[in-house]
Amino acid sequence: MNNGKNNKADEIIDSLDGIKRAAVPDFFYTRLLARMQKKEHESSPQNWMLRPVYIIAGLILILAVNIVVFLNNSDETTLADENDTLQQSIASEYSIADNNSIYDLNQDR
Amino acid sequence: MNEQELIQGLRSGNETAFKYLVDTYQDRVYNTALGIVQNAEDAEDVAQEVFIQVYRSIHSFKGESKLSTWLYRIATTRALDLLRNRKSKKRFGFIQRLFGDSNEPEFELPDFNHPGVMLDKKENAALLFKSIVQLPENQKLAFVLHKMEGLSYQEISEVLKISIPAVESLMHRAKQNLRKMLEKKGDRQ
Repeated sequence: MNNGKNNKADEIIDSLDGIKRAAVPDFFYTRLLARMQKKEHESSPQNWMLRPVYIIAGLILILAVNIVVFLNNSDETTLADENDTLQQSIASEYSIADNNSIYDLNQDR
Repeated sequence: MNEQELIQGLRSGNETAFKYLVDTYQDRVYNTALGIVQNAEDAEDVAQEVFIQVYRSIHSFKGESKLSTWLYRIATTRALDLLRNRKSKKRFGFIQRLFGDSNEPEFELPDFNHPGVMLDKKENAALLFKSIVQLPENQKLAFVLHKMEGLSYQEISEVLKISIPAVESLMHRAKQNLRKMLEKKGDRQ
């Protein structure tokens, strides 16, 4: 029984014996040349730059640069505020006036 | 035109040399691709891509192997790439169907009939091709190159860049796997 199954399977496996090589369809070379010309046209720089993927990537890049610049600027503002508060607290601690102009001192004399 | 002259002609962009290359190797490339992808349109696509790649990268061909070996190598790689793309599209198509926006047809490819198979073996060959699809990639390549292109184990070892015993092993395992698959199918019928 098993032998019979094996024989059938082997018969199927051997069914490619004596197979003839398949030939390409007619006008293969003409279609090949047309495809090559199309590919050359597609690979020109103006065309690849207009592909949606590059346009979207460009827009995302511009947006990302804007976000980074905005975040950096807001950080600097916070830092400047902190510096101002620190200067004011030191000034009040050592009784240094805000307008310690030398001209004011001269006027008193 | 001998092989050296052909390569020189291709390197200098000679169209006559390119036409000669295509005329000489087109059937070998097409038949190999057909055995792997099992669809005439896809096999023609693969064959065209092979010749375009040869035209573009002939300068990188060092001449360490025969031109035919190089062509078979490109053809098998391209054909396997197409199968992988087909598989990933199938997977993606399943996800698209889940969201109900797929235009892909939901039917399987029909049985493949190779035009070079003898009439009395056509039915068996169709069964065999269905099983070849399920073989692991390297076993599939070895089996197709040997059975359909008639390459010797030595030539296959050069195409796949493996040793001759490795080719023998691939062929042995391919036949074993095919036998198992065919017996299973026989049990179901």
